[in-house]
Amino acid sequence: MADDIEGPYEYPFEEAPEDLVQFSDGAIEGRPAGVPSSYDQGGSTRWTPEAISEVHALAQLGRYQVRGYNSFNKQLPTWDDLTFVPATMTRLPLEGYREKCDTKTVLGGGRGLVENPIELDIPIYIASMSFGALSASAKEALGHGASKVGSMTCTGEGGMLEEERAASNRLVYQMSPARYGLDLDHLRRADGLELVVGQGAKPGTGGLLLGMKVSERVSKMRTLPEGVDQRSTIRHPDWLGADDLAVKIEELRIATNYKVPIFIKMGATRPRYDVAVAAKAGADVVVVDGAEGGTGASPELLLNHTGIPCMSAIPAAREALDECGMSGKVTLVAAGGIRTGTDVAKALALGADAVMIGNGAMMALGCNSPRYYDDYAALGTSPGACHHCHTGMCPVGVATQDPELEKRMNVPAGAERVARLLTAMTMEVTALAKACGKSSVHNLEPEDLRALSFEASAFTGVKMAGIDRPFDWGTERKG
Amino acid sequence: MSDVVIDVGKRPVREVHEEIQAAAQAGKSITVTNTLSRHNLGVGLPAGCSIRFEGSVGYYCGGLNNGAIIDIERNAGWGCGEAMASGHITVGGYAGMSVGAAMLGGTIHVKGDSGPRAGVAMKGGNIIVEGKIGYQSGFMAHGGKIIALGGAGPSCADALWEGEVWVTGDIEDLGVDAVVTEPTAEQVAEVDAILDPLGLKDTSRDWRRIVAGQRLWYFESRDAKAWLMI
Repeated sequence: MADDIEGPYEYPFEEAPEDLVQFSDGAIEGRPAGVPSSYDQGGSTRWTPEAISEVHALAQLGRYQVRGYNSFNKQLPTWDDLTFVPATMTRLPLEGYREKCDTKTVLGGGRGLVENPIELDIPIYIASMSFGALSASAKEALGHGASKVGSMTCTGEGGMLEEERAASNRLVYQMSPARYGLDLDHLRRADGLELVVGQGAKPGTGGLLLGMKVSERVSKMRTLPEGVDQRSTIRHPDWLGADDLAVKIEELRIATNYKVPIFIKMGATRPRYDVAVAAKAGADVVVVDGAEGGTGASPELLLNHTGIPCMSAIPAAREALDECGMSGKVTLVAAGGIRTGTDVAKALALGADAVMIGNGAMMALGCNSPRYYDDYAALGTSPGACHHCHTGMCPVGVATQDPELEKRMNVPAGAERVARLLTAMTMEVTALAKACGKSSVHNLEPEDLRALSFEASAFTGVKMAGIDRPFDWGTERKG
Repeated sequence: MSDVVIDVGKRPVREVHEEIQAAAQAGKSITVTNTLSRHNLGVGLPAGCSIRFEGSVGYYCGGLNNGAIIDIERNAGWGCGEAMASGHITVGGYAGMSVGAAMLGGTIHVKGDSGPRAGVAMKGGNIIVEGKIGYQSGFMAHGGKIIALGGAGPSCADALWEGEVWVTGDIEDLGVDAVVTEPTAEQVAEVDAILDPLGLKDTSRDWRRIVAGQRLWYFESRDAKAWLMI
């Protein structure tokens, strides 16, 4: 006891019986201290239920897990960590419901090298997603939807699908390291060529298409045995470094008679250096795809644990182009986790010239829509949570090669929803731009933004809300 | 005798290319002189074009060839005949890295050795190398044949799809999933038929035909339901 030097303290009443001290007048027998949340929920911050089930899955499968969709990493910032600070006293807004705001976007005209830079009516286009990952109907619908609103689609790595070429007024032809379905005629019929060196979902690793989706048509277009698990290369077959790439770009320009712009698409890893190298090698357009970017199939570890957030990649890429004197000469496209027009506006304000959407466009087609509940349930999932693109059993016919499932992907309706989504997103961008006093969406700037979290401020250099200073390390970055 | 002589020297490659294309479209036979190992000579040439490059050429000579007959007097740099759809390319000397990369069809005939990754990602056609093919030749070849008459470097025929690598002479070592098979008489006859027009047929050769062991073609399951653990 506390005061035993002076002698024991004596209560002026009879000491309590031990069972009363132990709450035995009503507490659960054996758990008189009560039931903490840890009793049924656990408390380990390392061994969460997700971590335990991951170990169980690995222990049963003997391989890493594979899935589609996008990153589940909870540490990635969201675009909601940034907010706009529209014109108030120091700046004059434009009339949001009345005045015009320019949305025209030119890709690849900056160097003055190519005859036909790509002119889009809006700053948003459809990301490169292959025929193979998506059904032919989905590709066709994307093409028509984009065409209706003056936007663009990209073939992805599976070669040029005739339905998409016919549907898409502007189509970029992607040359992946595997060079599936490469054809000089297709190159010359494209409105742009894209050399892909990586993607945001799994930078540093080639494409993956499981055998269930390598149908007869897909296998023919890719010169693969039908039904194999196609695990593509990541290194290009005929160039390795930036100096070779410069020669390769010249070859493509010659092959297409200097008509169309050359894109380089990369996953966001070290954009401050990678973008500078791509610009130096001669790209007209650099596409930086953040870690939030989606994919048809990937080892899950790469989805969750590689790459950097889109919002952090854009300012770094812009800084690189500024530093090389290439801003205005090289177009910067950002992608990865862009959901709505507000996300687009934030990406433009951070320094992107245009934005690509993949998962969002798929959702317009019907991805994760509340229909065919039983088929979602058969995959062990439900509308809103489905990430099973890798199985080819897409309940809504978007990410499948099964002819029966593909019938659920109605081309005219899908095209119209894509067109409406792009229109609505563009309207959201112009609403924000006008509130910020901008007569062109391309005039949005970092000063129009404030950060709501330390992370968002530190990632982007955008000023913290209220205090009006960026959260930084107190040192100016040099060189 | 050629109808047209085009001098390269230090002129812009684009200008040279435009002259080559114009002569090719006019159906002329072309000789290109003073090549100085410049890059991107003879890219995307059409069928009916017959062109000879004097000396050596740099990267991507005959790249995206669409049917032209191309004769390179001496050596060729990286990616000679890359993505060729059809036609015939002869390299009088050595070919650098990635000869015939991702080619779809046609024939490339190298009289000397070839560098690493000959026929990488090729989809079809034939590459004949009279000398030795460099390391990792045939890497992930989807189709077509690489025929080496003077042996092969390390990691030969790595990770093949349905491409085949045929070798006479020493093979330093085989790549991942490469399986050496004894060719049948019909298969040898097929290869001899490719070699015969080049004056290279020799029935006494001891061939090794290397194909995919197909261990890299699949994870362990082809059933969609087996992928639902996640």
